[in-house]
Amino acid sequence: MEYTGSPNNDICTIKLKNFEGPLDLLFYLIEKNQIDIYDIPIVEITDQYMEYLFAMQQMDLEIASEFLVMASTLLHIKSKLLLPSRKEEEQEEEDPREELIIKLVEYKKIKEFAEILKEKEKVWSRVYYKLPEALPEAAFEVILDVSPQMLKECYQKCMQNYYDRQNDVSQKMERILRQEKVSLRLKIKELLAKLKRGIRLCFSQIYNLRHMSRIEVATGFLAALEIAKMGKAVIHQKEEFGEIYIDPIIRREG
Amino acid sequence: MEDLREIESVLEAVLFAAGDSVSLDKLSEIIGQDKKTTAGILSGMEMKYKNSNRGIMLRQLGTNYQLCTKPEYEEYIAYLGTGRKKQGLSQAAYEVLAIIAYHQPVTKAHIEQIRGVNSDNVIATLLEKNLICETGRQDGPGRPKLYGTTEEFLRVFGFSSLNDLPRMGMNDIQVVMNDVPVD
Repeated sequence: MEYTGSPNNDICTIKLKNFEGPLDLLFYLIEKNQIDIYDIPIVEITDQYMEYLFAMQQMDLEIASEFLVMASTLLHIKSKLLLPSRKEEEQEEEDPREELIIKLVEYKKIKEFAEILKEKEKVWSRVYYKLPEALPEAAFEVILDVSPQMLKECYQKCMQNYYDRQNDVSQKMERILRQEKVSLRLKIKELLAKLKRGIRLCFSQIYNLRHMSRIEVATGFLAALEIAKMGKAVIHQKEEFGEIYIDPIIRREG
Repeated sequence: MEDLREIESVLEAVLFAAGDSVSLDKLSEIIGQDKKTTAGILSGMEMKYKNSNRGIMLRQLGTNYQLCTKPEYEEYIAYLGTGRKKQGLSQAAYEVLAIIAYHQPVTKAHIEQIRGVNSDNVIATLLEKNLICETGRQDGPGRPKLYGTTEEFLRVFGFSSLNDLPRMGMNDIQVVMNDVPVD
């Protein structure tokens, strides 16, 4: 390739500028020479581009590989344009500059928008925002998934239990008088006897605070657990505080 | 809350207390109106702030809203401060930001293709400044990360939404290409 250099002072002005990349440099050259971006005189631009690279070389600056890729692209386009093309191909042949032009046009738009951004930032950096208040976290209670119907049912159940216990004075007295003696062993026996019938038992039917003391119910519960442990029954409870069912396991012997 | 002026006062109070941007969802929940109505009220407020003698203004940032001072009063507000100057971005950063703004969601490879240079550092800086964020991954080999702009981007550059970006007419390239003389 022949190096056709222009006066050196031209290089000096270019050298001072720091380019973001090969497109940036190319774009600068186009602007400087007031070239129509859609009709780039590729020979001139290539020469000027190469000049810049040589200048960089002379100054011992490291040339990024991207610049070299662009240089080879430019030289490739230049050679394509210089070589006479065959006539048959002429009609369908594309302008070898097309790809470069598309890139440059897009790059130009981006550069223009970058300038708009800079200008807008100047205005909007003059604006001030207030820091958020440290608002108390629990300003609102957590919303529970409940309905008035549920509340009503709850209340009814609660009151029913209360009245039952209140009205049950006689049994209460009886219980106190009985001076109950509760033993786990007896309870297990009792429960096993009931299970022998082979039907499902409801815990609340057998052991209920309405008829017996707390300790008796608790012992009954322990008895049920013991029996389950012994493998003579299975205990089910569908939901928390729901009914407890005791199903006997019947072993057929022999 | 039926009275419009009462609603506007509520919104003003909420936005002031929040300081930060508040979503349209939240605001409409607070005043008990649907989103469309709330957006209408807010854009009305935006105009009122703009056209009356107020030191503050209402900004729309995507689907969020935030109060801030008007830019023209900066010189007075500056008396309060200690003269700190926000550090600007590099030329490269503006370019990458411009590409991401128009092409989002966009991969790093695409950004570099447009700029013709490696953009790792710039992307890292923009991520750090919260001007861009990862929006997901592109289907395809390597599943590269996709980048988009943030609310902070709208805030810093004075846009109310991405629709607010100036039209760049990316499509006119093809039209002009047909007129390129072949020599």
